[in-house]
Amino acid sequence: MAAYVLNISRIFSRELISASFQFYRYRSCLQRLPAVKPPPLSALFTHQFGSSAACWQEAEVQAAQTADRYKQRPWDYLDSEEYVERYGSSAVWAGYRRNHKGGIPPQKTRKTCIRGDKICGNPCPICRDPNIIVHHQNVKLLQQFISPHTGMVYDPTLTGVCMKQQKKLNEAINKARDDGLLPFQIPHVDFSGEDYSNTHDAVGLTSPPPLLSPSEPWYKWYGEISPDDKKVDQVKKIYKAYLKH
Amino acid sequence: IILHNYILTLFTFQLGHFPLKYFTSFFVSHMYLHSPRAGAKPRFTDAAVQDVLSRITGLDLQKVFRPIKQELKPPTYKLMTDEQLEQAIQVATEEAKKQLQMPPVLPERKPINDVLAVDKILDGMDTAKYVFTDITYNIPHRERFIVVREPDGTLRKATWEERDRFVQVYFPKQGRKLTPHVLFKEENLKTVFSQDRHEDVLNLCLVQFEPDSADYIRVHEATYEDLEKNGKYNLLRSTRHFGGLAWYLVNARRVDGLIVDMLRRDMLQDAISLVSLFYMVHPHSESAQEAAGQQATGTDLLKVRTTQSGYIDLALQAYEEKAAEGSAS
Repeated sequence: MAAYVLNISRIFSRELISASFQFYRYRSCLQRLPAVKPPPLSALFTHQFGSSAACWQEAEVQAAQTADRYKQRPWDYLDSEEYVERYGSSAVWAGYRRNHKGGIPPQKTRKTCIRGDKICGNPCPICRDPNIIVHHQNVKLLQQFISPHTGMVYDPTLTGVCMKQQKKLNEAINKARDDGLLPFQIPHVDFSGEDYSNTHDAVGLTSPPPLLSPSEPWYKWYGEISPDDKKVDQVKKIYKAYLKH
Repeated sequence: IILHNYILTLFTFQLGHFPLKYFTSFFVSHMYLHSPRAGAKPRFTDAAVQDVLSRITGLDLQKVFRPIKQELKPPTYKLMTDEQLEQAIQVATEEAKKQLQMPPVLPERKPINDVLAVDKILDGMDTAKYVFTDITYNIPHRERFIVVREPDGTLRKATWEERDRFVQVYFPKQGRKLTPHVLFKEENLKTVFSQDRHEDVLNLCLVQFEPDSADYIRVHEATYEDLEKNGKYNLLRSTRHFGGLAWYLVNARRVDGLIVDMLRRDMLQDAISLVSLFYMVHPHSESAQEAAGQQATGTDLLKVRTTQSGYIDLALQAYEEKAAEGSAS
């Protein structure tokens, strides 16, 4: 029960941050807030029985509902007002800047932004917004990470996503291409110079040899050999576990 | 077919003064054309049929060479005289003809049910099947021996599906997957058709399936049916699939929609060629016999057809009115 309440409060704190439009300009400050530990248990319990209990509970329920709604249909978020307010018409990763020493960034982005419950400072464009879910049916989001000119997936050093999210993106894009939701370039097949008559023995009927009747065995010695009983018993004893009866 | 080509090459070498251009077009486009047998039903590979179909397909260079999504290079600019430009356009037309080569239309392949041996001595020895594939490099895939030993000791030839899978395992073809795309299931095909991506579906089908497999024929038929139902014939014009579409409609006797579409786009010659192809394939139908009786050519062929359906009549009238207006103004 305690863990459940803690989790709800964590989700609520994250939802409050992402849904608060008036704090849009202070996004950099807000990204630190999810790492803040929730208030201690006793304070929560006293709040529940306090005067602000009703509005806290409603807000928690709403937050849980929105998180669930985007979980079921992740593509709804990209049409919602919150998304337009936050990103406008530019891509999710536009304007994100990695923090690194020197002019040349490391050729691999960080391994992951979220470890357990902690989120790092300056998370990547996908991890910083919990409503963005990488799903193979979320075509609008996936297309933001594919170049419109070459059709290739952008490198993580360009978009800034962490390696774990990049891997999930690659899998989602491959699945979307497989399902036909994302178009891709198909190689040209040349059909000249191929014989489709199917007359070769490999794919046609091999007639049985004329000298053998269907009931006769293929090799003559199949019928003539009779096994030595002692040797058969020996072999049967060795392979007793594998025999059928 | 191979003998036919050798004779052709000998002929051209003897003459000596044929330009290389003609030689290459001979070699490529006449690969599997047959001469028609007297009195028999015309096949897809007949020279006359192929000629008509390639004329109907058209050759829109802008559509054939539209920019595709690939690794980008910086553009190159060339300064050309008019003659050089014409030569470049001719080279482009040859290349486009090669790209518009029609994929084969074959009847469905018969299943392979051939047992080579039954060895009762091996019954129950193992729980899995063993597949033995001949991986010699130089033999065509249709002459490759692939046999399966069942757990009950039967040695049989592999079925067509198994053959395709194992040939793909040992000799992978680019773009082909071991399990076909989920796209080819009925429900997903409908989604893709609603996005007008019929050409992509057909190209993917060509890459994935063999031309005589059941899946290939099923996907092609589904695509052609959807195109015919919605009248979206223009999507396939100037692609390699238009010939197949026209052939399917002619064999199913449902050319009316296509003729109306052609007349709407002012392609009278194409409509006439299509109708003449229809009479070639179905010489015993009423309109074919009427046309033969009247010795009709040109627009008269179409007028003979109009007795069967009113739509073509209206479309033909509209076309003639437009032509009259155009010539008057």
